[in-house]
Amino acid sequence: MGFMTLFMAGLAHGSLYALVALGLVLIYKTQGIVNWAHGELLMVGAFSGYTAFVLAGLPYPLAFLVAVLAGALLGALMERIAFRGIVHEHHATLALVAIGFSVIIKGVARIPFGADVYTLPPALPDAAPLRFAGAIVTSQSALTIAISVGITLLLLAIFRYTRTGKQMQATQQNLNGARIVGINTGRIFSITWALAAAVGAIAGLLAGPISLLYPDMGSEFLLKGFAAAVLGGFHSVTGAIVGGLLVGVIEMLIGGYVSTAFQQVSPFLIIIIVLFVRPHGLFGRRPVERV
Amino acid sequence: MDRSISIKKAVAGALVIAGLLAVPLLTNGYTQYVVNLVTVYVVLGIGLNILLGYAGQFAFANAAFMGIGAYTTAILSSQLGLPFWICIPAAGIVTAMIGSLCAVPAMRTASIYLALVTFAFAELMVWVFINWKGVTNGSNGISVPAPDLFGYVLRGDKRLYYLLLPSCLAMLWLASRILKSYVGRSFVIVRESEIVARCNGINVGRTKMVAFALSALFGGVGGALFAYTVGLVLPQSFGLFQLIIHIAIVVLGGMASLAGAVIGALLLTTLPEVLRDFQSLQEVMFGAALVMVAIFMPRGIAGALTRLGVLPREMLVRGTISPKRQPDDRNLPHPAIPVAVGGQND
Repeated sequence: MGFMTLFMAGLAHGSLYALVALGLVLIYKTQGIVNWAHGELLMVGAFSGYTAFVLAGLPYPLAFLVAVLAGALLGALMERIAFRGIVHEHHATLALVAIGFSVIIKGVARIPFGADVYTLPPALPDAAPLRFAGAIVTSQSALTIAISVGITLLLLAIFRYTRTGKQMQATQQNLNGARIVGINTGRIFSITWALAAAVGAIAGLLAGPISLLYPDMGSEFLLKGFAAAVLGGFHSVTGAIVGGLLVGVIEMLIGGYVSTAFQQVSPFLIIIIVLFVRPHGLFGRRPVERV
Repeated sequence: MDRSISIKKAVAGALVIAGLLAVPLLTNGYTQYVVNLVTVYVVLGIGLNILLGYAGQFAFANAAFMGIGAYTTAILSSQLGLPFWICIPAAGIVTAMIGSLCAVPAMRTASIYLALVTFAFAELMVWVFINWKGVTNGSNGISVPAPDLFGYVLRGDKRLYYLLLPSCLAMLWLASRILKSYVGRSFVIVRESEIVARCNGINVGRTKMVAFALSALFGGVGGALFAYTVGLVLPQSFGLFQLIIHIAIVVLGGMASLAGAVIGALLLTTLPEVLRDFQSLQEVMFGAALVMVAIFMPRGIAGALTRLGVLPREMLVRGTISPKRQPDDRNLPHPAIPVAVGGQND
């Protein structure tokens, strides 16, 4: 495979990782929680899309909507019943709650779907692969990149131009300040989780044709999302996007030119190397400590 | 009066030890195996608790330390035929050295970045266990011969228990001694505020390194005991699920509490066995148990019991609170003010 083909495939995978990282960063910025169950939200998106598209025979846009709603609902529910009450506890407690949720969601998914592997057909099965600057890009990859770019722009526009988006930014910057000026921060928390989870669910649906569907599929994407978020510094939405694309491209190039065994561990190597060289991420700044 | 208390304590301790020694009389083969696992996980739980609970380092590398310890033991005992009293300390020393290397990122990053880098290290180690086939025998694993003491082979779970129980109690004693020493108290100060620690002349970097090395030592010894208990060391044993068990032991048992490590190990080893009857719902119920306990007892079971007064507060400095002391005396200088380790401020 040529360099450009690998590069474009990397961008397609990377835009999925960027969507995962975007959700992780949104939640972290708002409540300081690292959502270790984010991979399972992606899995829920993929499986609810599969149920709607393949089992129920709905058209793709409707299946898309089902996946988004299922993800958003689950995300908002997790925040409301668990995290809101214990957000001030130790990081490890929060991590354990998230891990507990991921175990529950995987267990529930295993009841109807078992240990089998499912395949989600691509959204545009008949479309011919595109040729772009010497690269062959499958229609699914092109769709993935296009939808990811669309979602990112939409989110940035929401943050910038809508009232709720501005309230979300205010809550991220200063929780108490936001409360004082009358922002309903509980509502903002729910919206943040719903948005982050919906974006994760979309990533799951788009990942369906590239990856296989099985209840444990989320952990791989979670790791790469972490690598992307670490590259971006965990505090910046644009950083997460750039990080995701970088992780995807690096992973594809390592797989193409070095070996597939190293491709598996590339996200770990990226996390370790980045944090050794720049301990607060590529775009992160060292926090100032107050006494 | 002091003397009668110390006699009572000695009698109670002797009764507890006699009870623990008598456990194999009451068990069958399988329950004995579970009991053995409890002793192993007590050591592992203490290991992560030193780092996470006492030193406040949000690090997830302990499943990897456990794996390195288990592999060290397996290789030394099966390839070189070394006895357990060399293998177990060797596993501890090897992991302590690797653990102190893991402290290097901890000097530069903290909180979630440290969690992610150590998590990545743990996952990388699983990959190494699988792919470094010449040493680890890949996914087939290494079988560990039963330990023998000068020709007496500790074969079977009941005999093995008499190796595991003393090791576990010795590690528990060691941990309680270290944590009450200067080293343990400096862990807590580093956890509460690195700046305050620095102002008090504590070398923060070195303290973190000691914490990592010590935590890895416990992880490695726990891994070595685990290798003898299960008899077959497989790379998959040290993956994400192992990490979840370790974190759950520390968080559900109670952070910064040795009693918490014991409670957590008991709970997390027996819970999957109890849930085995529920078959397909097992995973869901396990996850639900983790979430419920964490939501309703965020400080862990030991924290909740301490608040109810069932468990005494663990003291870093041996303090004597005289019973005559009134609540109003709070502002008067007191010769030995106890420093409680219970609460976790974050």
